[in-house]
Amino acid sequence: MKLFVDLFVSFMIIGIGAYGGGMVTIPLIQHEIVTSRKWLAFKEMAEIFAIAQMTPGPIAINSATFTGFRVGGIIGSILATLAVVLPSILILNFLGSLIIDRYENNNYLVRFRSGMQIGVLSLIFFALWSYGSVAIKEWLDFGIALASFLMLIIFEGKLHPIIVILACGVIGIMVF
Amino acid sequence: MILKNSNLNEKVETIGYLSLASIFWTFFRIGFFTIGGGLAMMPVMRHEIVLKRKWMNDTDFNAMICVATAIPGAIAVNMAYLLGRRLRGKGGLIVAVFGTILPSFITILFIVGMLSPYFQYHKVTAFLHGCSIAVVGQLAFASFIFSKRSLGKWQHFIACIIGIIIIGILKMHPIWGLIGTGIFGFCFFPHKAN
Repeated sequence: MKLFVDLFVSFMIIGIGAYGGGMVTIPLIQHEIVTSRKWLAFKEMAEIFAIAQMTPGPIAINSATFTGFRVGGIIGSILATLAVVLPSILILNFLGSLIIDRYENNNYLVRFRSGMQIGVLSLIFFALWSYGSVAIKEWLDFGIALASFLMLIIFEGKLHPIIVILACGVIGIMVF
Repeated sequence: MILKNSNLNEKVETIGYLSLASIFWTFFRIGFFTIGGGLAMMPVMRHEIVLKRKWMNDTDFNAMICVATAIPGAIAVNMAYLLGRRLRGKGGLIVAVFGTILPSFITILFIVGMLSPYFQYHKVTAFLHGCSIAVVGQLAFASFIFSKRSLGKWQHFIACIIGIIIIGILKMHPIWGLIGTGIFGFCFFPHKAN
């Protein structure tokens, strides 16, 4: 029982700290699961991140389900997944009624948000860089990434992004 | 903004009635079809919600990404919450959040339970490697679309560089990047006086 409570608390902390996209979350998950709680060895953690990155869905949620399952079976995986989502829901629920609705068109907030919107763009550039520098190791990789980028731009709106991902997977089978 | 005066709690009249099932199905598809985490998810969300279903315009969508990123938690989940709420109120946000989480949950359990032995095969890893590289292209696409829409003035470029310096070079927590660019935008962006 204590294990499940600990699992829930840990992933709630991860949920609160999960900020700015999956790549940013990884060190936090590592700190909580490997360094602090010692539920998994570092090697297992690396395996989880590899799988979490290659499987659909947000990385924080993937790693929660995965770790939860390893630590506490099916119940553990359900608890960890819910725990990682819960802070978002609570915060948004609170902010939603209190702030977002009331001040959505507040002049000061709109001005602040216009700057923050550019901050999100910086974050996407950063994610592109940190993800790209891990995933791209040789010219061939770069070529595939470029091809997927061009396909998305040329067929914007006509071609579903998943088709591009699957196509690159098939190219991967042929060339690697 | 089209939705300027609409209350977020009410569903938006212009897009008509949306069934909870269709919202769930949309977010389930988005959840299933995205690899590489929250920000890589944005082009797919935009494709499904803005381009294909036209439930929202690009301006509102970008404003929503902004709120979703500024709040703790997985961006995709925050985004699902906000979009679901705008589309169909409380019920909408519940099915949207569940639709986003469920694919991850199912896939991970499936992989842990059944597929992990196959990860040894070369063809499987080659396929997944190809997929993960495509995610780089997708992130590049997200940066491109977002830049094209939001970098209109020179002040925007400076704000973007400030953000990159704070997050990427100083390695500070992303919240400081958002606060920094927010303050810069507040002070220096050209705003219509009203």
